[in-house]
Amino acid sequence: MLGQYLPVVVLLILAFLFAALSFVASRLLAPRRPHDRKAAPYECGIIPGRETPERFPVRFFLVAMIFIVFDIEIVFLYPWAVAHGGLGLFGLVAVLLFSLAVFESFVYLIGNGALEWGPVRRVRHAVSPARTSTSTIRRAGVREVGLEGRTIGDESGRAA
Amino acid sequence: MLAVATPEVLWWALLPVLFLSVGGLLLLTVASLVRRLPDWLPQAWTVVTGLAVLVACVPMWCEVRDEGPRTTLAGSVAVDGSTVLVTAVLAAVVVAVALLARPYLRREDLPGVEVYVLLMLSAAGGVVMASADDLIVLFLGLEILSIAVYVLAALHLRRIESQEGAMKYFVLGAFASAFLLYGMALVYGATGSTRLALVAEHLSATVLVDDSMLLAGIALLLVGLAFKVAAVPFHAWTPDVYQGSPTPVVAWMAAGVKAAGFAAMVRVLVTSLGTHASDWAPPVGVLAVASVLVGAVVAVLQTDVRRMLAYSSVAHAGFLLLGVQAADADGTAAVYAYLVVYALLATGSFAVLTVMGGDGDAAHHLDDYRGLARRRPVLAGAFTLLLLGQAGVPFTGGFVAKLGVLAAAVADRGYWVAGLAMLGAAAAAFVYLRILVSMYLEDPDAEAADGSTGPAVPLGARVVIGVACAGVLFVGLVPGPLLDLARDAVPVLVGS
Amino acid sequence: MVVTTTWYLVLAAVLFSMGSVGLLTRRNPLVMFMCVELMLNAVNLTFVSLGADLGDLGGQLSVFFVLVVAAAEVVVGLAVIVAIMRRRPGATADDLSVLGG
Repeated sequence: MLGQYLPVVVLLILAFLFAALSFVASRLLAPRRPHDRKAAPYECGIIPGRETPERFPVRFFLVAMIFIVFDIEIVFLYPWAVAHGGLGLFGLVAVLLFSLAVFESFVYLIGNGALEWGPVRRVRHAVSPARTSTSTIRRAGVREVGLEGRTIGDESGRAA
Repeated sequence: MLAVATPEVLWWALLPVLFLSVGGLLLLTVASLVRRLPDWLPQAWTVVTGLAVLVACVPMWCEVRDEGPRTTLAGSVAVDGSTVLVTAVLAAVVVAVALLARPYLRREDLPGVEVYVLLMLSAAGGVVMASADDLIVLFLGLEILSIAVYVLAALHLRRIESQEGAMKYFVLGAFASAFLLYGMALVYGATGSTRLALVAEHLSATVLVDDSMLLAGIALLLVGLAFKVAAVPFHAWTPDVYQGSPTPVVAWMAAGVKAAGFAAMVRVLVTSLGTHASDWAPPVGVLAVASVLVGAVVAVLQTDVRRMLAYSSVAHAGFLLLGVQAADADGTAAVYAYLVVYALLATGSFAVLTVMGGDGDAAHHLDDYRGLARRRPVLAGAFTLLLLGQAGVPFTGGFVAKLGVLAAAVADRGYWVAGLAMLGAAAAAFVYLRILVSMYLEDPDAEAADGSTGPAVPLGARVVIGVACAGVLFVGLVPGPLLDLARDAVPVLVGS
Repeated sequence: MVVTTTWYLVLAAVLFSMGSVGLLTRRNPLVMFMCVELMLNAVNLTFVSLGADLGDLGGQLSVFFVLVVAAAEVVVGLAVIVAIMRRRPGATADDLSVLGG
């Protein structure tokens, strides 16, 4: 019973051995003279700046996400439309229940103002109450002005 | 015009799913339409729904016991003891989590309704998963359960750890789902059906000339399910998600998601693919031993209590797999008994953690538990009982549960597996001992010592912890009823 | 040359492997989602070709459900990303390291 797993185990051991030997061999054979420039992501002599600022259109994303849900509803409505004669009352009730469940999510979206395009409403719970406008500005200011946007050693550009 | 035969529906058998899903959707609708909802309403509604499901389980259980198991909806949903037992466990955990959630949400100043809605929908998915008699229905149930839990994990809006944990959970969960689905596709290809009864029928009636597709399918199914129940080596997400998510949600993940996952695993592997047990039982045994050992050893190295309990939940998954790999009715009954006890232990333990978390849900370091016995003797005593239960000390439910799976493994001549698992259990006991030493023998911090008694315990948490402790003690002292219940719950396949 | 079911199955297996390797090696969350989609659609291809081979409608039916699940999964995943991006613009999977794992 267990014997049939023997080839797999042997292969596993061989694979591990090969990987380990390769690492050891390269460590032993290759010369190692690391320094800062060589360890940088792009070994071209230019210090990488921060990442290009991108606009992240959350609102469009939201609408796209909402669209996907209703798009999928159609996937189920088409086959029903083709076969509704044979399915009779059972099919009609089933599809109605299904549509109702999907429509329910629409009610939730409207209720939470996800489809309002006016001025952005503040989400009450997303931001810590301890965070004020002054603390935010000071943090951003140090990074932008003090280092002219080049935060060496902090490539991801996030606030410390 | 082509007339289509519509399936026969046993409405009483679908009541739990209907209660949970309609309850969730109704609450969501009311909450979106009414601006100012009373604070207590969502919680009360969830508790009532959970209790209604529990009540509905009683006649279902009697019906199944008297009339025998059956299937409904064209053989895609099973109505048997397993379905009813797991449904009852899930409903009880929903009630417990709802009780824990309200004081937690108020303390953390989080918006309220979504937690309850997602909890109920996720539980509906769990019920579908536990009762699935068809691979596709099982997949749907799993996804309803998982997707709701991904969102629940991300729900603490101000903790970046919460969103990070949710992201990791999501990526690995989607990965696991894809593996599971691929396994289902290959099993479908090898046997010609996704219905479990037909798969089993086909496998016992015919000898496959080339069973490589079936074996690949079983292997992929195994990987997918092992991810979901967090067995080593597919456990990497567990500690991060347990540490990052809101603590009441972790209680649901530990107790609810695991129960549904193991119910599905037993149904697919033991019941449907039982004829090929000699192929899948050895790998499951390896997973079981690895989970128990790794879970126990790594848990010792942790300093965050939530990470400790996460790894110990990995070890518990290993013990459950021990019952699965026995691949017979005794092993399955042992798994169900273990699931019930573990639901009690996990819910109770994470209820204590919810209380101890303090503002910001951050005080989960081992040092935060120092001298708890002096500050809050009752809470420390309850936590002690729950930890002893998790360790499997005699006269607690944990002992009964562990004994059951080990006996099943030994009866199946899995001496090696059982022996290694016992070794792991001994190592795991050390983890719980560490928390106990911290609570009883070490002095509290200077700031905690001057008069403050630690966090207040809300009424809901008191009820949950009390019921969990009582249950663990009861099962430990009088194990008979639970074992009978578990034996009646072994799933049965009903042909068309 | 006749294209048999086996060809489709092999193609699906290759797509699935590409998806899973991509999911494990890529660092951009959006690319990771695309890899999940690739994996699920490879499974869809498997289902359809096996269903055609067996002469069974079940294979095609399964695709509907998988499609829905994939859409729901991606929507939830994008929502989590949006929540993370609001706090940390330009985050990659490597930046998510507050937790130990």
